[in-house]
Amino acid sequence: MSKNLVNLNVNPCKMCMPMGTANAFYGIQKCMNILHGSQGCSTYIRRHMATHYNEPVDIASSSLTEEGTVYGGEKNLIIGLENLIKLYQPEVIGVSTTCLAETIGEDIEFIIKNFYASHPDEKVTIIPVKSAGYGGTQFEGFTRALRAIVSHVEMDPTKHDKINIITTMVSPADTRYLKDVLDQFGLEYILLPDLSENLDGVHQSSYYRLPMHGTPISEIQKMAGARATIEISDTIKPDESPGVYLYENYGVPYKRLNLPMGLRDTDALMDLLSELSKKTVPEKIVKARGRYLDGMVDSHKYNALGRIAIFGEPDFVVSAVRLCCENGAMPVIAATGSNCPQLKEKIEAELSKLADVLFVDNYVILNDVDFETIEEEAIRLGANLMLGNSDGRRIEEKHGIPLIRCAFPIHDRVGGQRVRTLGYEGSQVLLDQITNTILKAVEGGFRETLYNTYYNEGPKSKYGLEPETEAKMKVLENKKATDPLTPQAQTIEEKTANHPCYSCGASQKNARMHLPIAPKCNIQCNYCVRKFDCPNESRPGVTTEILSPEAAFEKYKLVKEKVPNLTVVGIAGPGDALANFDETRKALTLIHEYDPNVTFCVSTNGLMLPYYAKELASLGVSHITVTVNAVDPAIGAKIYKHVDFMGNRYHGEAGASILLANQLSGIKLLIDEGVIVKINTVTLMGINDTHIEEVVKTVKDMGCFISNVMPLIPVKGSAFEGLQIATNHEINAIRDKCGVHLKQMYHCKQCRADAIGKLDSDISLDFRENEAKSKAVVLAAPKGLRFAITSKGGMLVDQHFGQASELYIYDYLDDEVRFKEKRVIGNYCSGEEECDEKEDKIGTILKALNDCDGAITMRIGDLPTKRLESKGIKVFSTYDRIEDAVKTAAQEILRSELSKSQELLNVSGGI
Amino acid sequence: MDSRDKVLDKYSSKIYKNRKEHVIEIDGGEPQVIAADTRAIPGIMTNRGCCYAGCKGVVIGPLKDVVNIVHGPIGCAYYTWGTRRNKAKGDENTKDFTQYSFSTDMQETDIVFGGEKKLRQAIKEAVEIFNPECIMISSTCPVGLIGDDIHAIAAEAEKQYGIKVLAFSCEGYKGVSQSGGHHIANNGLMKYIIGTGDAEPVKYSVNLLGEYNIGGDGWEVERILKRIGYHVVSVMTGDGSYDHMKNAHTADLNLVQCHRSINYIAEMMKTKYGMDWIKVNFIGLESIKKSLMDIATYFGDPELLARTEAVIAEELDEIEEGMAYYKSKLDGKKAAVYVGGSRTHHYINLLKYLGVDVVLAGYEFGHRDDYEGRDVIPSIKIDADSKNIESITVTKDEANYKTFHSPEKLEALKAAGVPLEKYDGLWSDISEGAIITDDFNHFETEEFLKLLKPDIFFSGIKDKFIVQKSGVPSRQLHSYDYSGPYAGFRGALNFAKDITMATYTPVWNMVQAPWKSEPTLVGSLGGME
Repeated sequence: MSKNLVNLNVNPCKMCMPMGTANAFYGIQKCMNILHGSQGCSTYIRRHMATHYNEPVDIASSSLTEEGTVYGGEKNLIIGLENLIKLYQPEVIGVSTTCLAETIGEDIEFIIKNFYASHPDEKVTIIPVKSAGYGGTQFEGFTRALRAIVSHVEMDPTKHDKINIITTMVSPADTRYLKDVLDQFGLEYILLPDLSENLDGVHQSSYYRLPMHGTPISEIQKMAGARATIEISDTIKPDESPGVYLYENYGVPYKRLNLPMGLRDTDALMDLLSELSKKTVPEKIVKARGRYLDGMVDSHKYNALGRIAIFGEPDFVVSAVRLCCENGAMPVIAATGSNCPQLKEKIEAELSKLADVLFVDNYVILNDVDFETIEEEAIRLGANLMLGNSDGRRIEEKHGIPLIRCAFPIHDRVGGQRVRTLGYEGSQVLLDQITNTILKAVEGGFRETLYNTYYNEGPKSKYGLEPETEAKMKVLENKKATDPLTPQAQTIEEKTANHPCYSCGASQKNARMHLPIAPKCNIQCNYCVRKFDCPNESRPGVTTEILSPEAAFEKYKLVKEKVPNLTVVGIAGPGDALANFDETRKALTLIHEYDPNVTFCVSTNGLMLPYYAKELASLGVSHITVTVNAVDPAIGAKIYKHVDFMGNRYHGEAGASILLANQLSGIKLLIDEGVIVKINTVTLMGINDTHIEEVVKTVKDMGCFISNVMPLIPVKGSAFEGLQIATNHEINAIRDKCGVHLKQMYHCKQCRADAIGKLDSDISLDFRENEAKSKAVVLAAPKGLRFAITSKGGMLVDQHFGQASELYIYDYLDDEVRFKEKRVIGNYCSGEEECDEKEDKIGTILKALNDCDGAITMRIGDLPTKRLESKGIKVFSTYDRIEDAVKTAAQEILRSELSKSQELLNVSGGI
Repeated sequence: MDSRDKVLDKYSSKIYKNRKEHVIEIDGGEPQVIAADTRAIPGIMTNRGCCYAGCKGVVIGPLKDVVNIVHGPIGCAYYTWGTRRNKAKGDENTKDFTQYSFSTDMQETDIVFGGEKKLRQAIKEAVEIFNPECIMISSTCPVGLIGDDIHAIAAEAEKQYGIKVLAFSCEGYKGVSQSGGHHIANNGLMKYIIGTGDAEPVKYSVNLLGEYNIGGDGWEVERILKRIGYHVVSVMTGDGSYDHMKNAHTADLNLVQCHRSINYIAEMMKTKYGMDWIKVNFIGLESIKKSLMDIATYFGDPELLARTEAVIAEELDEIEEGMAYYKSKLDGKKAAVYVGGSRTHHYINLLKYLGVDVVLAGYEFGHRDDYEGRDVIPSIKIDADSKNIESITVTKDEANYKTFHSPEKLEALKAAGVPLEKYDGLWSDISEGAIITDDFNHFETEEFLKLLKPDIFFSGIKDKFIVQKSGVPSRQLHSYDYSGPYAGFRGALNFAKDITMATYTPVWNMVQAPWKSEPTLVGSLGGME
């Protein structure tokens, strides 16, 4: 969960800003860095940098004490500068602030001015950087220091022929690589910063405590006159970018590139260097490219097994994702601990394309995230490899997912300073590690896995995953089971685990029944039309019959006898359970007396919740679903036509406000009672689709257990009849976004108010006794009729036309229904990105339906209906057993043909 | 000019004035006075950390069943995330959260509008997700300034969730080093945890104080104690737990390993529960032997004494051959030891056993009593920085107060050499001629390294690389460079092996310390040869 956005960050995937500034200043020649704050900041940062780079790291501190926090830290900083100069004789000093200095409001520019005033002979260049630890991560700290350098060094804008190269944090070895490439192109350049020697020095006969290498200040002064800037980072915010600063103040044109990792991003750099140097790409580089390409080809057949979790600074994540994608290794997690909103936009297309090719259902792009979330997602998405810094080692240790350490920081291995990922060679190093890690897993489990899978028919995977991942899922489930959410939730835990609507696992095995005892509703949602007698629709709010509490109890007994795995009894309308509370209370009491072990579950719009929450809990209701479509009355006003409350009817925002207030206070009461609360939200495109995340965040904070974001089922006659329906893709995107905050239900089937059975196999038809069978005379068909049916399992007409990937073809002749065959079609509608191909698809479908007289489907859009009907294929929307549906449809066709011919007859008769 | 003057001479007069009191040469005469526990000089590259490091990083961080929430911006929580190698292992009864880092990750708006709401919510989330029995909150720099009342929030959360919730105001700027944080942590543990359990007392039971289980040290010590027949009630705090610590008052005796970081608890428990404490040292064979015999003498059971002797003999037998070999390789070498507040002293004995003389030593944040012995405590002037750290007073807990020995018997034990409430400090073991620098910095490290030419340098990660790159083997004594344990009998063997390996690696034949081939110094070396 992005706890950053919430409140508890568990295992941070980021460090603080001063850490970044310290790294950046290490790339400046004869520069020392002093942190203005408590001495712990310097000590911690030195400690962490030294471990990564395996080099001494000197960062001074102004050692602020309690006194300094009261009287200001100027004295400490000035003494600190004096001592630093005396002991180290630096030419440049970077002064970075810390949380402490920023919180007490230190004006370091002013202090530095005072320092120069009191030390008039001092030649040292002092560069202030505002870098409060709470202002950003090490990534922003690094670029902010660079920006401070170019904006504080006295610039000489005289034009010259050099180019500026500005990088974010790359390893010393990669920095040396970049310099080598620039040399090969014969380019004159100023590299900012250059930590290649200072943080990865050669063994020397004497040790210089002052970093002697790096970019000299005299060169930095010339950056204003360069002919161009290449900024190797495409995620720095413009107002923090040194390249943008040089452009805006001195007109130096700039170009931003991704980190040159992988073929395409390295190519982009080489192209640009070739253009700037007016030289063709040197032979050596061309060969390196060729070799990388050759390596890509060599390893292509193994990489598709990769499910990679990538985490780290935004630049690294972007380029690592691109490298993995171009090699066919699927990144299932792309995560940064920084706040980089454009991350998604930069890699989404890349990921979605590869996911399609490799049949990967799900991947996530996580911004501003902690390692706990990365861990949860890695398990959920079956990651089998991680790329990033060494902080992934806890996940590696706990779950055995190998970690390739290839970014900053690396704390548990040597060689952080020598990590190579840039250019064709660096990419090759990384790719080989990726492929070899995959190969190791395959080869390591080769015999046993193969033997079990193909010969021994080992235990069938519950999750359809590799055995190792399966084992991890089990561990995770066990952990959750033994680690109750809250102390009082312990008994409810089991119920939740066995509730098909709350646990995906339980939805496979346990059944539930909805008792249609609550006809009245106290609000009018614009998407709802309640029908009490419609057997042919499957959606919430629909039932064939209304039962009295006593009848419902009888039906329960009947069903329980025939369906022993019935564990849950729910009241889901068709109106609102609490608007019919007497009936609800009665039914619950009767059943509870008969079977105290049953799990009760109630759905409500929440309007009356504050009045009944306690009683519901005392009646043994352990699970309550509240439909919350908005937490903003202005949005609610568009969704709810009216709200009937305490004898008055409220419209617009007034109604929505009452509903919202009652929902929230009711939920609060339920949570206090230890009831597990699920929140349903109907996705209404253009109305609440961008607001749903807010809804989920709100209810998460209140302690709700799971959120269920549902697509709208458009109902004829409802106000939202014509509203655009969210595609599965869009729904899942919203769910993924919300999943960051709260567990999401991905398996909701939007059941009827009288549904019975497991979620994906409704058996309520078997229990319909009062169904009025059509007693009309059966018309004989002069010829056979052929129908195409959309069905999930071949029993019921229970699938949306757009979601069907195959059609069941049935023939009707002489009141006999016969199954003919299945025809495979592509789904007509499977998401936005495929819209362009829609035309072709419907064409294909029409061809497949060529010989049919009718199409029977649960629901179908306007456009395909028109297209079908233009071909003379009649469209029937229903929810029924296939055989019955075919009969009904056939009779309708025959009847209409009969009446047509009778009309004709009449007309002719009239002549 | 001797080595000391050569180094100090490079300072400006202002710094010189300050540092000359912190850098002394042991002259073998009257006990010398050293300045310690005073403010670090800004800009001088001290190795010291902050108050938060001492509280969260050192003392409370290792408690495994505690969810340690750092209230502040992200950096500080990150930097104490598994950096100290204090090993811990959970089991079915005890949760282990030491692999986690929890932070409220305060943002700019929280600094402006206050972070209390976020902290409350974070505690709630921690309870929901991790269900701990105890939560500790440590505040970092900004929190003290913006005025979040973490103590009130802790008290409120304690009521709301029915678990133990403690808050520590250990903002980095308090005090002059980690030391202030130790004290703050000690106060909190004493006030709110020790004595809240209701376990039945067990015969011959002890607490092990100031043992942080770096590289598994505590496990080795506990193994030996258990072998002899002691019951270890709690370890403070390496691999320790809230669950055990709340019963610490039921033990008979406190064993103090790290004097600097935890003597406060030992003293307060003596006042409150009448529990005696002795200074022990489980590093170095002679020290272990003495400590084990002291404990046995305290309890005075002849059977226990006999068993102690037998265990010592057996343990020594196991490592003797190895130690003899390593001693032959290390005999005559010189070492520098620069560690926190007690550890420097602990290793001198072990090094002596191996024939290694310590020529350069110092503490990062020790007080004068850690150098000169507890006898000087009354003469230590409390300065403003230390006064800012709360010093709590405890009173006798009548219900739980018990004395193991009569005052007369205690006097007799003291006379027999049992170090009851006694610690003689570094001076008791350091050799004449050694240079001692308090709050050593990068510059001094480098300069003394050149002048005193130790063969091996024991210090921490920040100076490790200067040393190594100067051609001198180094060993981190804060975290043991991924090795350990070094305590106890088997640990001693590990240590001897590690430094022998470090000294004899072929690499040193290929690089030569510069001063070994080219003379960089002119003049005599003040009797150092």
